[in-house]
Amino acid sequence: MDSNKKYWKGLEELNNDPEFVEKNKHEFAEPIPIEEILSGGGLMAKTPRRDFLKALGFGVGAVTLAACQKVPVHKSIPYLIKPEEITPGIANYYTSTYDGHAILVKTREGRPIKVEGNPNDLLSKGGLSAQAQASVLDLYDVNRLKNPILNGGDASWNEIDAFVKKELDAIKGGGKLIRIVSSTIHSPSALAVIADFIAQYPTAKHIDYDAISYTGIIQANQNSFGKAVLPHYRFDKADIIVSFGADFLGTWISPVEFTNQYVQNRNNKSLQSKKMSRHIQFESGMSLAGSNADVRIPIKPSEEGVALVTLYNQIAGTTLPGSKKLNNVTADKALTIAAKELLAAKGKALVISGSNDVAIQVLVNAINSLLGSYGSTIDLDNHSNQFAGNDHDFVELISEMDKGEVDAVLFLNANPVYDYHSSSAVKDALKKVRLRLSFSDHNDETASLCNVIAPNHYYLESWGDDQVLEGYYTVVQPTINPVYDTRQAEQSLLVWSDNAVKEYYTYVRNNWDKSLLAKGGLSGQKGWETLLQTGFVKVADKAAGTYTFSRDLNGVAQTILNQSSQMEASGDKLEVQLYQTVAIRDGKRANNPWLQEMPDPVSKVTWDNFAAMSPTDMKKLGHVQGDVITIEANGYSIALPILSQPGQAQGTTSIALGYGRTQSGPVGDGVGKNAFPFHSFRNGTFQTTAVATFSKTGDNIILAQTQTHHSFEGRNVIRETTFKEYLKDPSSNSGGSIKHKKYDDLFWQDYELEKKPYNWVMAIDLNACTGCGACVVACSAENNIPVVGRDEVRRRREMHWIRIDRYYSFNDEGKEVTEEQEISTLKDLEHVSVVYQPMLCQHCDHAPCETVCPVLATVHSSEGLNHMAYNRCIGTRYCANNCPYKVRRFNWFNYWNDSRFDNYLINEHTHLVLNPDVTTRFRGVMEKCSMCIQRIQAGKLKAKMEKRPVKDGDIKVACQQTCPANAIVFGNKNDPNSEVSKALNSERTYYVLEELGVQPGIGYQVKVRNISEFEA
Amino acid sequence: MASHNESIIREPLITGKDITYAKITNDVLHPVENMPTKAWWIGFTVASLGACLWVFAVSYTFWYGIGSWGLNKTVGWAWDITGFVWWVGIGHAGTLISAILLMFRQNWRNSINRSAEAMTIFAVICAATYIVAHMGRPWMAVYSLPLPNQYGSLWVNFNSPLIWDVFAISTYFSVSLVFWYTGLLPDLATIRDRATGIRRKIYSVCSFGWTGSVKTWQRFETVSLILAGISTPLVLSVHTIVSMDFATSLEPGWHTTIFPPYFVAGAIFSGFAMVQTLLLITRKVLGLENYITMFHIESMNKIILLTGSIVGVAYMTEFFIAYYSGGEYEQYTFLNRFTGPYWWAGCMMYGCNVLMTQMMWFKKVRTNIPISWVLSIVVNIGMWFERFVIIVTSLHRDFIPSSWAMFYPTWIDLSVFIGSIGVFFTLFLLFIRVFPSIAMGEVKLLVKSSSEQAKKKLLDSGHIDPSHAEFYKEALTKFDSVELSDYEKV
Repeated sequence: MDSNKKYWKGLEELNNDPEFVEKNKHEFAEPIPIEEILSGGGLMAKTPRRDFLKALGFGVGAVTLAACQKVPVHKSIPYLIKPEEITPGIANYYTSTYDGHAILVKTREGRPIKVEGNPNDLLSKGGLSAQAQASVLDLYDVNRLKNPILNGGDASWNEIDAFVKKELDAIKGGGKLIRIVSSTIHSPSALAVIADFIAQYPTAKHIDYDAISYTGIIQANQNSFGKAVLPHYRFDKADIIVSFGADFLGTWISPVEFTNQYVQNRNNKSLQSKKMSRHIQFESGMSLAGSNADVRIPIKPSEEGVALVTLYNQIAGTTLPGSKKLNNVTADKALTIAAKELLAAKGKALVISGSNDVAIQVLVNAINSLLGSYGSTIDLDNHSNQFAGNDHDFVELISEMDKGEVDAVLFLNANPVYDYHSSSAVKDALKKVRLRLSFSDHNDETASLCNVIAPNHYYLESWGDDQVLEGYYTVVQPTINPVYDTRQAEQSLLVWSDNAVKEYYTYVRNNWDKSLLAKGGLSGQKGWETLLQTGFVKVADKAAGTYTFSRDLNGVAQTILNQSSQMEASGDKLEVQLYQTVAIRDGKRANNPWLQEMPDPVSKVTWDNFAAMSPTDMKKLGHVQGDVITIEANGYSIALPILSQPGQAQGTTSIALGYGRTQSGPVGDGVGKNAFPFHSFRNGTFQTTAVATFSKTGDNIILAQTQTHHSFEGRNVIRETTFKEYLKDPSSNSGGSIKHKKYDDLFWQDYELEKKPYNWVMAIDLNACTGCGACVVACSAENNIPVVGRDEVRRRREMHWIRIDRYYSFNDEGKEVTEEQEISTLKDLEHVSVVYQPMLCQHCDHAPCETVCPVLATVHSSEGLNHMAYNRCIGTRYCANNCPYKVRRFNWFNYWNDSRFDNYLINEHTHLVLNPDVTTRFRGVMEKCSMCIQRIQAGKLKAKMEKRPVKDGDIKVACQQTCPANAIVFGNKNDPNSEVSKALNSERTYYVLEELGVQPGIGYQVKVRNISEFEA
Repeated sequence: MASHNESIIREPLITGKDITYAKITNDVLHPVENMPTKAWWIGFTVASLGACLWVFAVSYTFWYGIGSWGLNKTVGWAWDITGFVWWVGIGHAGTLISAILLMFRQNWRNSINRSAEAMTIFAVICAATYIVAHMGRPWMAVYSLPLPNQYGSLWVNFNSPLIWDVFAISTYFSVSLVFWYTGLLPDLATIRDRATGIRRKIYSVCSFGWTGSVKTWQRFETVSLILAGISTPLVLSVHTIVSMDFATSLEPGWHTTIFPPYFVAGAIFSGFAMVQTLLLITRKVLGLENYITMFHIESMNKIILLTGSIVGVAYMTEFFIAYYSGGEYEQYTFLNRFTGPYWWAGCMMYGCNVLMTQMMWFKKVRTNIPISWVLSIVVNIGMWFERFVIIVTSLHRDFIPSSWAMFYPTWIDLSVFIGSIGVFFTLFLLFIRVFPSIAMGEVKLLVKSSSEQAKKKLLDSGHIDPSHAEFYKEALTKFDSVELSDYEKV
């Protein structure tokens, strides 16, 4: 179709004026000024040659430079559909359970980054152990199995299921035995799953096997009272505690819970009501509990039985047949006083023993019965489910396996090849088993001998529940999608037993819907949701019954005394006491670098176990610390360096279990030596002592200790008093710090902190702190503190922002001896007092570090904090030199990007555990405690959004939050009603090195020892 | 210049017969104008190997971090700052000789000031490298300068003694360099005038067109005096400020008001010892016995004795104050120097610096070249240990016993230190090859008044009091460069 429409681009074209026509003849409508630009010569030119070359040079140079760098491609994948609950930058908290403790898991953008105690947790009121704090790191362990393994090769879950089911059916058909070996399971749902499994496979049996066994106590309660349970101990109800080798503050049964209970009779509140419990400890090696005891008497393992018999005799006023006197005058005297005091505190007394021997525990039961402890300090009715292991069952299983009766063994959280005393027996027996299956998420010592590994979820990926105390039901909920291709063990068991319920989640739900929710007065979906928010359900306690011991003790005493003489080391042999360290415990978490680097509370050793010996013995034998000796017992020998341990009973050595793993992963492998083979099986239980010969190897190694000077040299950085003195004058030995006058200072800018809304300070009660070290790990997790490894610790370069100083002092005929020179002349190095002092940046108001920094990288805030600007720091280290508390830490190497520190925190996934609110520090900069400034900021922001001032307790710093003893209080000094203000107003308050005038922000409360009757 | 006759009882500053201006020029410029000797090559090879070691060790530190040194959480400074203070101290003699002795018209300085000033500059270079190398992030060293910036006007911390140090050292270095170079100008012109070809061109540029006119000389004298005036306070201020790096802290053993004079005396002490060490060798190797005479050696020994004794008094004062203050930590620190694990370092410090130098009361010791040389080395060993004791022994056991620790040097620590000595000697050996090691112009000033031959002439004139003449002849006996037989008949 024709169109006479005319299209035009401008009026000029429409009008077709001559100028336009002329211009249009050329390619470009307007002349291009090339000539003009290039015209002229030299500098007179419009575009001089130089300008041109400059532009050219710059352009080419810039483009070349820009092209040099291969721009890294960072793939960031946004949420396609953003989960409603996730806001980037805002943490979510989920309730869950760690080892029976109700916990909160802090997640950021969907990944768990920290485990915190649930403040309502019945056991420890929000306190958590170092192990619990460190547990979050294991989630990201790259050495976890990434998929199931069948006959040594990678497999899919379908293949595994097909294989295992076929095998199990065959075994069932053949009538051969099936055994599930697990460490104690206290999850009601898991136990129900196992019960269902056993119903499906009637030849199956579940065996509880604990590497650290409490069978002795359970059996003794069965013998004495017909109740095969682990009682619930109540240290909070005890006015006097006598412990024979039970490290109830460090490792025994439920140490975090016990710490919380124990401190209730020793903290400021208790002291103010003029009450303080007395704690007497008889033990061989210096344990955490022993180091906190008011009176600690070193005895040999072989003397423990005799001592208990003596104590019984004193209390009962009888003499058991065969009783003999202790060869230990001090212990004998102490026992007499202890007996007197125990009787005086009848009903409020508690005697415990760390032994796993049934006879000893029966005698302890008898003593406690005489003291009326049952129903008050010992509760058998609301008992503990923490340990149910039966040593005899496991030993029997091995003989069954040996005989070829067992065709299937399923290991759930059990690693007997490592932690059973005869590894070879397990190995040999396993060879005769057709189906060997491990649920381990590591290819550990036992799993590597199995033909099937069906890796379990980590607890942070799991659904489940727990009932660690009778009637205390907690829930476990996943906080992240499984990191690897793992499957929950319970789920696997459901699948293999063709359970009607296909999903373990449904199973748990059903279990709760059926009975557990109702116990907490909850029901239905709403009830379940409430549970997920509160984390637990508690059934009202049953009345704790009183139990009276009425069995004949003559046989028991005989057994004990016979054993004692067997245990006695003669000649140049040593009695070996085996113990767990607070950090590594039974060795299951040996691959956790936070735990390996956590200094042992007492010895301050990291990354190793050792043979602790008395300094007197060492002198006698001509040993110095670090000498490697070979220790041989039960036909097994290991070479360990000696640690000089004041307070160690003479003629004994203490060796930590949990070390010497060979297949835990690159961090834990080869750290220390395995001492489990020194265990023995006697009278139905595993015994934790041995008699060993030892010999020199001639080697000497340096133990990686974070503290190498052990006395406080009489300096008033440590202030302690006795309870008797405290009652006379509560400010006894505190120096009356709070009454000190403050002088105006000419040289200091007046911050006028008291006029500001906030002045952040801290109070630390030395009488509450047990030195357990949980705060150290909590701080590492919160503040992204690098792990530096054994060699760097040896060079004294550990990076912990908070440390626990531990000092020994001695008593020389009533005089306290604390100076190195005098100590070296002392004869008696066994009766030692220990004091712990958490030490961290004191946030001095007149901070000496601030004045010397040349570049203002460390400055004071208007809220009384001492800040560190990492980006400004040039690393002269003058601040660290000038810090009287020596709490500043320097990044000697690039700990976050240096292959020498691989396997600690710079693995493929481990950086996911980092707290995104805290930057990691580059090499060459100084760092130190920031008082968790990120938490302060978060707390202030939250308060601001809610249009209110920050309330006391809104902000809890990481060390304070995890402290089971509540020894650390943080808060605003300008609020007179805050907890911290009240704590600092205590007469016991003093400031470390206050005489320097640095005005530290952390007040310490004087340590009180309840020793009056023992003083003479 | 000095047209009048100098008193006969003053010892000659130049010995030897037939000393003419030309001879001085020939003698001094011998190493500059000829190919190096075998001894120089050996020395240079050893020294430059040391310098290479330094380059390697410092690069290693930069690459891996300060962790390659033996420092730890308790001892944050050790060999680095020990080395820094040691080198700064050594650098002090040059300025003292060039500035203070010039002001006091001590003419004997004329033969030694050039080398001493060169030494100062090289020592300060060594010291400055330690400052940069000891930083955790040396690439951020610029933060320590008060430069305008975009960080909301973020300045340096003027309260920090380390900042004062930055100013002190940089001022000291620039003033010393200017002073030294100004002094070099007439001598460089001399070399220029005697050289040919490319050397002539280079020296021509270096001598800034020196003409030697009276006006030029007059300006030269004026500038020298002004620079001397500027430098004199620096002699005192630099080490005062270095001492404040310690004195303004809280650290027991550092926090002491006596530090400034004590450090200054110590610096001059070690500086003279180093001058002595170098010149005794240079004198022999370059055959300069006539210009650096026994009189010079003895004078320097006397200064070493004086400053050594001042340092000794300072040590005693420290101990007394530690006792008298009643300060628990202070007392422990000083006791710890003898009874602690570093007792041997304390013994080295007190033994070398105080006990050994007291031997200089004896003239036989002062005028014995081998003993003087050994003692000069002993002094610098002692002064190194002084700084080590002050820094490490104080830090390793301070307030909180839990943090007490030991410092063990690594091979990198050792390499940086040995390497810095290598750097120093490399620079010094290059210096004596390209610049006159004795200020020819200034020595020539003395020929007509203070030289042996001028005195001899005076003696020969017979107008001298015989007792004075005897005194003079007596004084000459100590000289190893004087032929006493010439005086038998006079």
